[in-house]
Amino acid sequence: MNSFDVVVVGAGIIGCSVSYHLSKAGYSVALVEKGDIAHGTSSRCDAVALICDKKPGIDTEIGFKSIQLYKELAKEFSFDFEFSTRGSLYVCETEQELEIASGYVAEQRADGYDMKMVDQKELLEIEPYLAKDLKGGIWTEVDSTMNPYLVCFAFVEEAKKYGLKLFTHHEVKGVTKGPDGRVQSVITDRTTLHTNRVVNCAGVWAAKLGQMVGIDIPIQPRKGMVLISEKTKPVVSQKVHEFGYMLSKFEDIKYKRNVSKLVEENNIAFTIEPTEADNFLLGGHRAFKGYDISSENDVIRGIAERAIRFLPILKDISCIRAYAGIRPWVPDHLPIVSEVEEVPGFYIAGGHEGDGISMAPITGRMITQLISGEETDFNIDRLNFSRYKQLERVSS
Amino acid sequence: MSDEKTIVCRCEEISFQTISDTVREYSCSSREVKLRTRAGMGYCGGRTCRHMIDTIVAGINQEPIADEIQLSYRPPARPLTFGVLGGMQHDNESR
Ligand SMILES: Cc1cc2nc3c(=O)[nH]c(=O)nc-3n(C[C@H](O)[C@H](O)[C@H](O)COP(=O)(O)OP(=O)(O)OC[C@H]3O[C@@H](n4cnc5c(N)ncnc54)[C@H](O)[C@@H]3O)c2cc1C
Ligand code: FES
Repeated sequence: MNSFDVVVVGAGIIGCSVSYHLSKAGYSVALVEKGDIAHGTSSRCDAVALICDKKPGIDTEIGFKSIQLYKELAKEFSFDFEFSTRGSLYVCETEQELEIASGYVAEQRADGYDMKMVDQKELLEIEPYLAKDLKGGIWTEVDSTMNPYLVCFAFVEEAKKYGLKLFTHHEVKGVTKGPDGRVQSVITDRTTLHTNRVVNCAGVWAAKLGQMVGIDIPIQPRKGMVLISEKTKPVVSQKVHEFGYMLSKFEDIKYKRNVSKLVEENNIAFTIEPTEADNFLLGGHRAFKGYDISSENDVIRGIAERAIRFLPILKDISCIRAYAGIRPWVPDHLPIVSEVEEVPGFYIAGGHEGDGISMAPITGRMITQLISGEETDFNIDRLNFSRYKQLERVSS
Repeated sequence: MSDEKTIVCRCEEISFQTISDTVREYSCSSREVKLRTRAGMGYCGGRTCRHMIDTIVAGINQEPIADEIQLSYRPPARPLTFGVLGGMQHDNESR
């Protein structure tokens, strides 16, 4: 019979990690995906696991742990997902940015994280092609990179060894509940799977799955465009991004960069990262445009403009392609890793916005701990879905 | 000529053999073959090899695998330098 301990919906990086961890823990698992593996955001993104872009506190703690888990998985898995620890560099354009950066580094260092400030001279020693007028930056040597869709394939291949059943090209159309309100089955366009536990890993589509059981999940799509360079010499050897990135990511930091209207209006901040194939990925951009993933010329121009300001050598290097992805955004920038109180057996692992790649291993692990009734690696009260209900109560 | 030597994607140098082995092993769509092998992800953006990849995949998978996007072309329509895209002249440019 089509009956499983757990049905995981969505074969993005989160669903693949959740499926792997559950299968390894001995559960019979079905992974259901409307397209093929990595059909959604996890094949339309960048590829870094950073602690330097997290807020001090739980965000950094679980981010750091997740990188450690990646290191172990890279050793353990027979499927290579191009993991490497290259480090990352934040660059500051102005003295003021440098000052905010120092405060941030001091806070992270006090918590024991290995980040350090570098001055103008050191910056150019680390990355010689950077513009000469930059003031300095933050260097985080532990930051790592991998190929996100290969991570998805790797999780699935390893999970199959523990018996994972994969249902690609199956779109979930409904989730039924028993008389006691508990999850009973998952209905796809092609079959019905019986189960008492569903994990919603549907990324930006998570809210649609929530509606099927009558709950309101506040995950929204936040678009980001990426430009791909031709294969070229190592113009940078690690992820480099402008400190203003931080400022565009968190709306609560008040700081205004001196940038063109095009860059300002499209919420663009310079990021570049190397890939194993010697192409470079350039961004970054954030906008609320619904589910639209078309390429926008203005955004392409703005990203290129900002890129050559920080890395003038790019002027003569070609951009061969552009693509856009949509991040699963939540209002308070913390993922949801939780069972839903009102619907026993319904779990959510989502809303990782721009950190889903980083956070995938730890998320899979903690969902498995929740389902097994074990203590989670971290106190994740703040990642609980019920936080939104409390908010509603406060505001009404 | 052997399948190993027949190059389907010239930009990324991916052989007929690699592509057909991947389709057989994972019974996957063109899109997944592209992600797994890099075929179609090269300088020309798949303009040269895309049709061939689709044909190979369709030939091996008896029943066509529905995938609304298959191999999509992505803009820009042809490679352009970042200098041209971003505008060569810059107020805040470094010296
Ligand atoms: C431009 C950009 C750059 C980024 N850079 C980074 C980075 O450097 N580091 C980082 O950590 N993160 C980064 N991210 C964020 C990261 O990509 C996401 O957080 C992550 O991919 C989300 O994974 P997911 O598994 O939750 O969602 P997805 O990968 O979108 O997976 C959800 C899956 O669910 C499936 N699905 C949806 N509804 C149904 C249904 N009804 N039935 C069956 N299947 C369904 C979808 O087809 C999809 O495959 C970036 C994102 C963008 C857009
Ligand atoms: S020939 Fe395959 S990408 Fe150019």
